[in-house]
Amino acid sequence: MNRSAWKQTTSFLLLMLGCVRPAVAQQVPVQEHALPNGMRVLLVERHDEPSVSGGWVAHVGSANERPGITGVAHLFEHMMFKGTRTLGTRDYKEDQRIIQQQEEVRSAIREEEAKLRAAWRRGDVEDLQNPESKSPRLRELEARFDELVAAQRELLVKNEFDRIYTTAGASGMNAFTTTDLTGYFITVPANKLELWAWMESERLLHPVFREFYSERDVVFEERRMRTESTPLGKFTEAFESMVWTSHPYQWPVVGWPSDIPAISKAEADSFFATFYAPQNITLVLVGDFDARNAMELIRRYFGRIPKGSTPPPDLVTWEVPQLAEKRMNAEAEANPRVTIVWHTVPFGHKDFYALNILSEVLATRTGRLYKGLVLGSEVATDVTTSPESRKWAGTFEISAEVREPHTPAEVESAIYHEVDQLKQEDVPAEELQKVKNNFAAYEYRRLSSNMNILLQLLFYDGLGDWREINEGGPKYQAVSAGDIRRVAKKYFTAENRNVAVYTRKPAPASEEAQPQS
Amino acid sequence: MKVVQLPTALLLTVVCLGCGTTAKQPADRQAETPQAIPDRPEKLEFAPLDYQPPDPADYRVQLRNGPVAYLASDRELPLVDISILVHTGNYLDPKGKEGLAGLTGYLLSKGGTKSLSADALEERLAFLAAVLTSEVTDTQGNLRLNLLSKDLDEGLAILRSTLAEPRFEQDKLALRQEQLLQLMKQRNDDSANIEARDREFLAYGDAFWSNQYETEASIRSITQDDLRTFHRRWFHPSNFVVAASGDFDREVMREKLESVFADWPFAGDEPPAIPTNAVFASPGAYLVNKDVNQGRVSIMLPGVMRTDPDYFSIVLMNRILGGGGFTSRIVNRVRSDEGLAYAASSSFPGGVYFPEPFVAAFQTKSRTVAYATSIVLEEMKRMASEPVPDAELETAQRSMIETFPRAFASKTAVVRRFADDEFTGRFQQQPDYYKDYRDRVAAVTVADVQRVAKEHLESRAPTILVVGDKLEILKGTPEHPEQLQDLADGPIVDLPLRDPLTMRPLPQ
Repeated sequence: MNRSAWKQTTSFLLLMLGCVRPAVAQQVPVQEHALPNGMRVLLVERHDEPSVSGGWVAHVGSANERPGITGVAHLFEHMMFKGTRTLGTRDYKEDQRIIQQQEEVRSAIREEEAKLRAAWRRGDVEDLQNPESKSPRLRELEARFDELVAAQRELLVKNEFDRIYTTAGASGMNAFTTTDLTGYFITVPANKLELWAWMESERLLHPVFREFYSERDVVFEERRMRTESTPLGKFTEAFESMVWTSHPYQWPVVGWPSDIPAISKAEADSFFATFYAPQNITLVLVGDFDARNAMELIRRYFGRIPKGSTPPPDLVTWEVPQLAEKRMNAEAEANPRVTIVWHTVPFGHKDFYALNILSEVLATRTGRLYKGLVLGSEVATDVTTSPESRKWAGTFEISAEVREPHTPAEVESAIYHEVDQLKQEDVPAEELQKVKNNFAAYEYRRLSSNMNILLQLLFYDGLGDWREINEGGPKYQAVSAGDIRRVAKKYFTAENRNVAVYTRKPAPASEEAQPQS
Repeated sequence: MKVVQLPTALLLTVVCLGCGTTAKQPADRQAETPQAIPDRPEKLEFAPLDYQPPDPADYRVQLRNGPVAYLASDRELPLVDISILVHTGNYLDPKGKEGLAGLTGYLLSKGGTKSLSADALEERLAFLAAVLTSEVTDTQGNLRLNLLSKDLDEGLAILRSTLAEPRFEQDKLALRQEQLLQLMKQRNDDSANIEARDREFLAYGDAFWSNQYETEASIRSITQDDLRTFHRRWFHPSNFVVAASGDFDREVMREKLESVFADWPFAGDEPPAIPTNAVFASPGAYLVNKDVNQGRVSIMLPGVMRTDPDYFSIVLMNRILGGGGFTSRIVNRVRSDEGLAYAASSSFPGGVYFPEPFVAAFQTKSRTVAYATSIVLEEMKRMASEPVPDAELETAQRSMIETFPRAFASKTAVVRRFADDEFTGRFQQQPDYYKDYRDRVAAVTVADVQRVAKEHLESRAPTILVVGDKLEILKGTPEHPEQLQDLADGPIVDLPLRDPLTMRPLPQ
């Protein structure tokens, strides 16, 4: 990258404070464009290696779901890799015909599954997921469905979407889904930008969601792997769900175990039509390309996608103010731990910056929680803080591992003690400056790769405004000691907090530790 | 460490000062003469991309005071990044003091220096927004400093005193010991950790050095004197390799590094060779019972060294089998076709100091463990029994060739890669490794792939490790007749969990 391409500005704030030599800030020179169909485009040229990182963000996440189809936004992310009319099958028409037949069998299966749930509610069936619970009719339908899958497989070109990219030297293809946004990204050699435009516009224009039901099973295995089989996964999910009363953040991104196996392809189709329309999508390119050529390609390829007919509905539900502390006591296969979550503010709120600075005053190895709880009273072995401002609402979390034989109660009150100090006294200037110096240095560290810049733009745009990448900095430097006191008083109240206390589940008697000779 | 924390909130705590270069542009008009868009991507044509990898000789500097350094000036950002690799490792832990190397590595940068207490050092680094970390892993020590270039001289002074005159403060040692004991208590909590540990036991044997785990007793026995002795023995410039990149002039940096390593206060030893006396477990299925609803499976076979003459054929064979993501057979069958697993893959890494095993691994619900295992075994057999189609090999080859420039994506990546090669001996053994890399990939044939599959996947029956709910796993599923006991060429062996604090087997 040519340094001169990046505008440099001196931080007059740091100069005035006189504590360190002036830091020089670097703007990310983003070009913004819009296509007639409403799709937006962000371009950043960087010419230091012969590759381009490309991605796009759909402004949709699990918060846009409803009970019954929780997990559909994430399942959808998986389906976007299943191909197009011409990629993934040898015979599009026959493929479509088989998919239609599959859907007919699936609606019969859904009727049987409804009966199974009714039997389970009566107590006639103990475990819905046990394969022995299936009725003969359900088995028969599933066998018929499997035959249709086998017939479709004859026409499939397995994972062709991935194969085309891989053969062309693309790397790091992946995607992610959060409560608020869904992002897709990849890196291609600099001479393959047109391939990227072809592939990404085709999967938005002519997607085919084949292998829908086996992918649903894959997602359930993902749920088992991340949530159900890990020591704290299930508990974290339950706690997160407890934090939110009215807001859709109360269900997990991966979806409830009841919903994942029940989502129909029709529901996924309608989800795509609503939320993957071009006016709900932003493209981002970072790397070794010429912006004019790139825009010519983008207009040609993405401009052909028709504008969606209905605007995606706005999310109107806000979290009702919390009236009283909520608490969860859990026995888990894990070391004792205390996690406290307060409701705060969404992305873009003016208090977000003070909360982030406050977080760093508390966290880190020279922060107050580490000095107070780990080095000082020695009640904890580790402490973390996490200010999280999502698109629609935010939280602030402090979590500490208990140093045995101390108790979770001791750790909890030690945390409140440190937080109360912030309400009562201003953070000294030197301590505040230390934190700000790190925000200033991070401004450079974040620019270490094309992909890093791309991900920041995807996130910021998905949360509400990509300009945060260039506008956030001065706001952090402007935070005063008074701001920190004010937000500490405002958000860290007893009625606004949620507390999870974990203690180690006692081992069953037969597993007690006894050396074997 | 402050700056270590920032990236965890990476995408929300980004800072930038001064704004306004972005130009909001009006909606763009359609291109005036649109070219036709082909119905298949193969019909697109691309300009050639000429790429020559960097030459290690252009970066290599032999310092007078011992180390070889790889230096790259990069003026893009006002940052400097320095890594020191040290010839040491957990393999040098004395018997009964397991964990000593790791503790020494951690406390090197966290226990103060001769002139600065641990707390004062941490405060100063935090104020400078500098990152200083250190660790000792199985076969390597690492010290890394990343800081603003305006602070380079102060940073190098800290680097020198950290490496040459660490204080290893007693209270910081005691704290780290407590933290390690807490970590140890979690050894059996997560089935993934159990699987990772038992893989090592099966691949290398209980007696191998890498399976000598730290215990409560070994950690408690370690004293400040042990740390000092370990440090003075191995942390000497003659055991260092340096990588530095960033906002500096090469010659100036070279001279600065000369003074960092001058007049070392003690003489070190040359570390002994890394022992290679591993023993691979017999074929069969090994089962660890753990109450989770998903079984974790590792199918293992003895591996190779990365200097093996067939290394490139083996890498390509593995990519086709399970190492190539969605273009590989295991993913296609276990994941896409059957929906049996989210993660499924195989790896066949060439070992640097001793052969590392082939592992095909996946996680699936308890009842389908046997069925999914049968599919992976079938695909392994098919690699040996049938030649792969040309197109499959070509996908794997083109991918390796075309992504090759990504290995050198930044100056930091370049010098770290070359320093690592210097450290592990590749630079001396295979000086043209990168120059020849793409030709060697392209030279592999379909016959080569089948030959190495026969040689390495069929030489013996695999060792299969399963961690999960034993009773459920052994039930299998009514839709598929496969049973784990029929798939394993050998008995099903129950592996015990181990006491997390002593690592002794627990009664079952």
